[in-house]
Amino acid sequence: MGKGFCALFKKDCRMLTSGKFFLMAIGFLVLYTAYVNLGYVRFMQMPPYNVYLYDPTGTQTEKSPLVQTVSSMEDMDAALLADTNGVGLDASTGVVQVVLYKGAEHVDRHRADYALSLLRPSAGSPPEIIRTNTPEQKARKEITCELLFFELVAVGFLGIAAVLFKEKGMGVIRVHAILPLRKSLFLLSKLAVFLLSDLVFAVLLTLLNIGLADGAALLPAVLLQTAILSLMMALVGLLCALLLKDFRQFTLAYLVIAIFGATPVFLSANTSVKFNWIGYHPFYHIYMSLKNTYFGMAVSPIYYVGAISVIVLLFLVVQLAFRREIGKEG
Amino acid sequence: MIEVKNLTFSYSKDKQTLHGLNFTVEDGEIFGFLGPNGSGKSTTQKILTGILKGHGGEVSLFGQDISNAHGPEFFQKIGVLFEFPYLYANLSAVDNLNYFASFYPREQRRDVGELLDTLEFKPDFLKKPVSSYSKGMRQRVSMARALVSNPRLLFLDEPTSGLDPSGAVLFRKIIEQERKKGSTVFVTTHNMMDADLLCDRVAFISNGNLMALDTPKRLKEKNSNHRVVIDYLYQGQRETKTIEARSLEAGIPFAHNEIISIHSQEPTLEDMFIQYTGRGLS
Repeated sequence: MGKGFCALFKKDCRMLTSGKFFLMAIGFLVLYTAYVNLGYVRFMQMPPYNVYLYDPTGTQTEKSPLVQTVSSMEDMDAALLADTNGVGLDASTGVVQVVLYKGAEHVDRHRADYALSLLRPSAGSPPEIIRTNTPEQKARKEITCELLFFELVAVGFLGIAAVLFKEKGMGVIRVHAILPLRKSLFLLSKLAVFLLSDLVFAVLLTLLNIGLADGAALLPAVLLQTAILSLMMALVGLLCALLLKDFRQFTLAYLVIAIFGATPVFLSANTSVKFNWIGYHPFYHIYMSLKNTYFGMAVSPIYYVGAISVIVLLFLVVQLAFRREIGKEG
Repeated sequence: MIEVKNLTFSYSKDKQTLHGLNFTVEDGEIFGFLGPNGSGKSTTQKILTGILKGHGGEVSLFGQDISNAHGPEFFQKIGVLFEFPYLYANLSAVDNLNYFASFYPREQRRDVGELLDTLEFKPDFLKKPVSSYSKGMRQRVSMARALVSNPRLLFLDEPTSGLDPSGAVLFRKIIEQERKKGSTVFVTTHNMMDADLLCDRVAFISNGNLMALDTPKRLKEKNSNHRVVIDYLYQGQRETKTIEARSLEAGIPFAHNEIISIHSQEPTLEDMFIQYTGRGLS
């Protein structure tokens, strides 16, 4: 059994290598890392809006260094014309008036409040800081979690299905039906290759984007969540590849899962958008568990029981579909 | 080696594919299973190779009921050549064979290089990916895959498909050699020449029923009109006469100067198939 599994594992690695899967994974890793370190973190440190102040008599003495002073109302108009998200403050009459291009009402209020707060940066009570993450650490953990989730849900899922479709096309699944090996090993070796590949990806992505010390402390819990998601997605990918006729049909299923499946989860978890039904969305719980892990929060044991049950159930269904496929082809 | 009693099978409740087949295949026999598309040949082979479950009746291979013989030990004893050459297109012939051979015990495996040499595989292509091979070369690699484990029972589905005439002759020679080594061969084919030249016995199957089973020779003899056609020269003229074969016992019963040829009017195996099943093979 061990020898058979090794032969299958080696063959699956060769299939993935010849299909440039590992190269693609390295490419994604480089791309994600460059995006986090050169783009996202810097973007998150930028002030949300530019604030322009016209104060000819110098009434605003406490203003923040983030406030840009203009010398005339014409200059302010020109600045707001070029930067429509910016906020203008006119203090020429002694009373500060907010000037802005109208957008959504709640956003406009936020913009105005933010601009006015920059005139009195020391006013108001400081917010209570929860946990020890700096804003940069928080941003890094959030984006790393999102990118890992995306990689596992979209890229890994696509990879395993592509390999199986290739084998289906070549007819070699049929040959495995008459080889002296346990048929489940054919599936297990694929799961093992993808699991291993996803775990390595998770380690590198976490360490490169969160940092060695912080990342290493999180790794055991992150790897556990990665393993759960990786196995689930690999099994769904196998099931799709076994049940669907060709790669074109699979592409449609992929779009449904990647766009309609993942988008509401990202929206609910990362923005103020809330859907009443999101609690019934399986991806939401998986994503939130991964996110909680990155922020050092405990994950409910019920989640683990549910996740393991889903993996076992999916494996049994995939095995049934595999036997059906062998019978059909053979 | 193979014993099939009252074998039935249905893919769905309302459509029975096999209607009670009965046949045996002896040790060391080359057995031909002939039938048109959709006759139940593949279904029978799937049941015999342990791929398809849920059949009715009794099927035993190597003296064991097939329902209880699906462990690795069973698959170690059989080799299967499929109708199409199913191989990893991105791997070479050698890599494909080494991969498939790795599932069998080391002492059972044949040398891959030697096997490909026996099958007259072009040495230049040994390390090239299968995607660059011709149909005939792929068929040779597939045959090597079926033989690499030295199987005791060999299932061959259209073994000479995709081969040129010299390749077909080579394959028939190799199948004969396997039999001499003690293997039993179960051949499924449309090719009447293969069946006639190779098989000790053939079975005709049509619509899930076994229509006839005997040696190719006896099947043809049973239905022969026992006449011969003689081409001869007499007084400078070429002539043809059809006479009873038995009448030749006393010599040529008519005046002639030279006999050019004598042909029996024995029917072909294909004629027999059509007679028994009422259908052609294609």
